[in-house]
Amino acid sequence: MFPMALRSLNLPGVGTKYEFETDKGDTVAIFFTKKGSIQMYTLQKGCQTSSAAEMTPVEARRLGNILTGAIIEADQESVEIAFSALADLRITVHTYIIPHTIARKTIEDLRIRAKTGATVIAVCRQDKNIINPPPSFVFETGDAVLVIGETDQLKLFEREIMVD
Amino acid sequence: MEGIILALFICLLLALVSKYLTIPAIPFYIIAGVILGKTGLGIVAPDQISSFFSDMGLIFLLFFVGLGLKVDKISENRSELLTSGIIDLNVNMIIGFVAAYLLGFSLVESLIVAAAFYISSTAMAVTSLIENRKLMMRESEPIIWLMVFEDLVLIIVLALLSAGNENLLFFVAKILLGLALLYALAHYGKEFLVSILERDDELPVLFTFIAVVVTASFALSLGVPDTLMVIALGAAFATTDPDAFEQQARPFKDVFMVIFFVFFGITTDLSGSVSLSVIAIICTLAVVSKLISGVLTGLALNGSARSGLEIWANTIGRGEFSIALAALYGSPAVAATIAIMVIVTSLVGSFAAKYSISLSRRFSGSGRRHGPPFHRARAGH
Repeated sequence: MFPMALRSLNLPGVGTKYEFETDKGDTVAIFFTKKGSIQMYTLQKGCQTSSAAEMTPVEARRLGNILTGAIIEADQESVEIAFSALADLRITVHTYIIPHTIARKTIEDLRIRAKTGATVIAVCRQDKNIINPPPSFVFETGDAVLVIGETDQLKLFEREIMVD
Repeated sequence: MEGIILALFICLLLALVSKYLTIPAIPFYIIAGVILGKTGLGIVAPDQISSFFSDMGLIFLLFFVGLGLKVDKISENRSELLTSGIIDLNVNMIIGFVAAYLLGFSLVESLIVAAAFYISSTAMAVTSLIENRKLMMRESEPIIWLMVFEDLVLIIVLALLSAGNENLLFFVAKILLGLALLYALAHYGKEFLVSILERDDELPVLFTFIAVVVTASFALSLGVPDTLMVIALGAAFATTDPDAFEQQARPFKDVFMVIFFVFFGITTDLSGSVSLSVIAIICTLAVVSKLISGVLTGLALNGSARSGLEIWANTIGRGEFSIALAALYGSPAVAATIAIMVIVTSLVGSFAAKYSISLSRRFSGSGRRHGPPFHRARAGH
């Protein structure tokens, strides 16, 4: 299924290594070190020395999002997933930061689902994740919310809810 | 008691400096100990508390050695592991032993110096590979496997030294019995161990600490060396969830090891027990002999002396294991020699590893003329 062979290896004391060679002959290696940092090396075909970048887990996930083709706009990210088996259903997951205008209101007060059809599936508040918040959930300024829906529903969410 | 606190506080300051300069901290701890202790100002003297904490440091270090030994992992890379391991072992053990013996150490002392001379610091090698962004080099995996091989040799050396005058057969039988017992506990109690480690209260850390300490004291009361049994405990636990155990045991290891190093420096008498020229010769040879073994390994594995230079640069530093051998079995003269050897090689090693790339470039300019790689037979001595 994959054009390249992905090798993974456990290195005692260091961590886990993943390595693969691209079609054009370049090599990419990723090391998840035991200290928690992630190092990515790239080695151009025919070159002797690789170049490296060290990342925190958060940075690595961000890089992963970019590589999978998701769009990143400052601190708002979105991923669109197309399900070809379901008549080309396109579902988007988008993050938003709650502005002070809708702080201290609940999901019910804002009538998010009735107005837009989109659903809030998770809220991140000070590094804590609240999955599937109940309708009585009260937003606070600065909460990062993860909203799922079709593209049109999310546009409605931006127009109707975020500026409320 | 105040002595430990003063020593630890100074170590903290030195740790900050060493991290800032990205130089290994171990030589700093030893130097701090030397200055505070017998040889230097004589402000801090060892007492019961400090020797208890030092023992804990050693025991947790060896527990980590055990956790790193996963039998299935080792067997995967056998040929590379063996080739580089055997070259490294022979070259360095022989040079270390002959040099120590000719310089006037007794037979047993020479064996201890040779073992400390041979065994590179795993912590320094791994840190150097990560911090200098060298993990992707083709030499990095051989270096990591070399460290595993050295750990295995360390266990054999520890067993030989601790057997002493005992009947060897009886001694081995006792150790195997202890090992079998620990493996059986880990095997049949695996679900229980995993369920403890998964809890998010204080039980995982409490359990890990007590398991290590109880094993050590139980071993002593049975007349088996605690060092070996703690390694065995680590190896047995490695069959369950080694990462979780490492996570729980790391804080103990980190703090107790610092106490271990600084009090090793405090108790070591550098004044007069060995002549300075003896120490200087050992230190120079310690750097040179790893160069010889590194180049031979590079030629054997990759057919390139330049690659050997890279292996050398990352394995010059002797550290925790050399000090452990000195603390456990060294006479005052041996301990002083090893202390200075660790300080010198770890500093030289850290600079060599940082500048190895520019070093090897200069080297390869003239090195190319060597032509086709030396063949393996040459390295097999």
